[in-house]
Amino acid sequence: MIKDQFDAIIIGSGAGGAPIAHILGKAGKSVLVLEKGPLFRPQYQSPNGRSDFKRDELISDGPEKRVQLPVVNNGQSYYSSHVEPDLNDEPHIYRDVNNADKATIEGYTAQVVGGGTQLYGGVSFRFSPLDFQLATFNQNRNDIREDPNNDIKREARDWPISYQDLEPYYVKTEELVGINGTRENQQKPFSKDVYQPPLAPNGISEYARRGMEMLAKQLNPQNPILPYRTPLAVITRDHAPSGRKVPTDPETAKTSYVNRYGDPLGLKSSTWVSLLSPVKDLPNFTIRCNSVATRLTYQNGKVDRVYYLDPGGVERSAQAKVVVVACSAIESIRLLKLSALQDRAFDKAIHQNDLLGRYFMTHCFGGASAVLPERYDKSIALDADWATDCCSTEQFLREYGLWAGGALYNNTSDEALPISLLRTKDAMDLDNLWNGFMWASDLKAKALVDYFDNEFGRGLSISFMANQVPQRDNRIELHPAITDKWNRPVAYIIKDWHRHDRYLMDTYAEQAAQILQLSGRDIQAFKFVGKGGSYMAPNGIVRIANHILGGARFGTDRNDSVLDVNCRAWDFDNLYVTDGAFMPTSGSGNPTNTIEANSFRVADQILARL
Amino acid sequence: MPGYFYVKDDQYLLNYCAKYLARYNTDRRHAYGPPEVDAPRDRVAEAWRFPIIDTYGGGADAVTDSKTFGDYNDVTFIYAGANATSPANVSVIGTFATLYDPIPMRRAMWEGEATRYWSVTYVIPKGQVHRYRFIVDGGEPVNDPVNPQEEALDNGAVWSRFFTDSFTSPIVLERWELDILYRLSTEILPFQTADSTNFLARFYDHLDRTSKESLYNNVYRLDASVGEVNFIDNILAREERQHLADYKICLRLIDRILRQRNPYMEPSRISREIYFDLYNEMASNQVQGWDYQTYSNPQYFLYLLRRHVATGAFCHPKYGGNAGAAGWAYLAERYTLPSPAPGQPGQTLFDWRRAMEMPLGTNAEYLG
Repeated sequence: MIKDQFDAIIIGSGAGGAPIAHILGKAGKSVLVLEKGPLFRPQYQSPNGRSDFKRDELISDGPEKRVQLPVVNNGQSYYSSHVEPDLNDEPHIYRDVNNADKATIEGYTAQVVGGGTQLYGGVSFRFSPLDFQLATFNQNRNDIREDPNNDIKREARDWPISYQDLEPYYVKTEELVGINGTRENQQKPFSKDVYQPPLAPNGISEYARRGMEMLAKQLNPQNPILPYRTPLAVITRDHAPSGRKVPTDPETAKTSYVNRYGDPLGLKSSTWVSLLSPVKDLPNFTIRCNSVATRLTYQNGKVDRVYYLDPGGVERSAQAKVVVVACSAIESIRLLKLSALQDRAFDKAIHQNDLLGRYFMTHCFGGASAVLPERYDKSIALDADWATDCCSTEQFLREYGLWAGGALYNNTSDEALPISLLRTKDAMDLDNLWNGFMWASDLKAKALVDYFDNEFGRGLSISFMANQVPQRDNRIELHPAITDKWNRPVAYIIKDWHRHDRYLMDTYAEQAAQILQLSGRDIQAFKFVGKGGSYMAPNGIVRIANHILGGARFGTDRNDSVLDVNCRAWDFDNLYVTDGAFMPTSGSGNPTNTIEANSFRVADQILARL
Repeated sequence: MPGYFYVKDDQYLLNYCAKYLARYNTDRRHAYGPPEVDAPRDRVAEAWRFPIIDTYGGGADAVTDSKTFGDYNDVTFIYAGANATSPANVSVIGTFATLYDPIPMRRAMWEGEATRYWSVTYVIPKGQVHRYRFIVDGGEPVNDPVNPQEEALDNGAVWSRFFTDSFTSPIVLERWELDILYRLSTEILPFQTADSTNFLARFYDHLDRTSKESLYNNVYRLDASVGEVNFIDNILAREERQHLADYKICLRLIDRILRQRNPYMEPSRISREIYFDLYNEMASNQVQGWDYQTYSNPQYFLYLLRRHVATGAFCHPKYGGNAGAAGWAYLAERYTLPSPAPGQPGQTLFDWRRAMEMPLGTNAEYLG
């Protein structure tokens, strides 16, 4: 008989679920983690010493397949990925600008133990204190631009916790996950600096550092806010909490097989290697992977039972005192809505107001790029080297009439390898891979050499990641017609950018451009290429950067939120949602570090009641 | 370790089975090629992954020399039964072993319970092609219902087929088709420019004897290419089999056009100018003499070819392109800093060897 009674069932093994599994497991509570994806092990855990992750450009975007669903982009190409779902098996559908439905790979983190933390670049910002108080900050302002209907004042929410409440958990995350970086110049208070030392930056990044410094001085000559090393979830020293060891020469961790590649050596701090591996062999810990949760049922104010399919597709179920849903914002909302479809009592409880799925967010993101006069070996890099908070000060936001801030950082590993350089030509998103290169038929022979000469090892881009205005109608629903490989309705993404989002992206893109232009000023052969916000892309409406946030926001008012301050669903005694869905605003940087910190916070609350 | 087989741990097996094979939906969602006979493989994702060809890392009697490891693949056969009790036993026969000794497969277990998935892993040298069949409950040998690769024998029998990494002989394309592809691909890739030609000559000249033997004999036109045509043949046989019809039709049309334009010479030998013109005509979708009834969009074929050629030139060599990492080495040499002092080599600005497994690369930790 398979064990089916636990203290806690945690659905999803990524940034939202793993911290809770770690804490409860260490405390001796019986934990079941359900993960839809496979368990891909690093070399040191694999029975034959070989990892399922490879340094291979075709592992993340490989052979071509075609969309075969009744959508307007039927027939469109997509490319095989080792950890993303097959689009025909489990698509996300979005409504495009013409009100037509399309399938997209946008909005998937990864289906694998560790979730998106296996695939991400590892950029691990803290949110700023201001991010937690955007309602208060904007309440009495009359200088907000591009918001004619005062949506921002109506829709901005303070988080029910403050930066100070979360700060100890940031420290805990940085320590237990294993993050390298520098604290100096970050505009966020630190009670403790537990960063591992960063590796040497790639030579190309000096342009970014210098530009960031020049921009800071231009913005505030008296008190410039200088750049810092981008915090990255990659260990650079032996990491005691997870027992991981670094190579004799830690610098060999820099390979540019980083963003979109799982790490065969386990140096990238996925939640599997950092948080779950330390508890995996405990007798009270169980992980069932290749097992998809299909529905929850409700009884007497609680989630009564969790149903899931085993790797062969046989339905199973389990019970627990506490159930945590953390399978990425879109999929968590989908799971809750699928449960509601099949259980009227669950439906009533989860829809005690009409907010589930609403206020779905991603980030305002985009950037600028340039081609440098010299060439650097970009194949020796991690995802980012330098970052700056100089464009998220209150002074900056007031001057530009922005409702909230963002972080800027330089990409180092982008287009570092030959195939990625070609397949992302004019196509920075996953739905358009290869299109630019394939149709550029004049890019051949000598012209292709020239292209490599001009681009390979010479491209530098600056990205921004900033708060997006929460909008009630940006939401996740169940699609009325399209089903996944288990015949369940798929997620339907309905979103648009707010006018202020576009303005904000234009503003930040200009700052990113300034960093490059200041740095390249007076340098012969320095070529500025362009700038822009992601809303300008061909499928800009659905660009998500895999930062999928909101849809089940937490708060102090049960009429204005889906979850209470501890991320517990209001009319449930034992149901928690802890992936990015809980966020009422999307924060001024990449979200993983904050999702993990919040999950450590919730873990303490859950532990206290078990 | 030829002749050696074992059973992988259940975790490894279920990772492949659940994602690609497990499902309730029975639509033909994965039949994205031209219409073909309805087959079970149209209902599973990425049927081409089966059998699973992976890095050899050694089983119980593993050898530890990384060079030896690099010579083999783990080939894992998977058979999905109806349920956890039926069939009662499954085995595999194939040309990698004796054809008369079935190799027993084992059920994968999950949480101590039997699953419907059977498997066995056989260690097979790289660069080989084999055929195989399953024997289910002692019946007649049957083909793998998932793997789309099949091979017809002289006696008319059709078997399931697979090939291991770095396979360098043509599988699905004929010599004349490879000839035309080779000529077209040289219009795209930079390896026919004067300095590049020098590079390739030097590169292949300096390969050690073993590498030369293993590469040179087979990879198509290796003296002037980096194996991209071989890569295309490989993926048309396996991962992108849905495009095989495009290639077969278009290469026939192109062959006819080339013969019209120069009736006195084999298409493989006619002048560069004719290929140059043909390329540009395809790019504009206006090809003189093209049979648009048979294939309406020569531009699309060029589009496809461009992706395949570029991928084949710079992919990991296990895919049969970028032979001996010549494509990477080309970039590494082209982007090298000047020598700092006489006798000292300049530093490359594409040090790909650093990240790659040995013996291909020099990384001491990553094992491929």
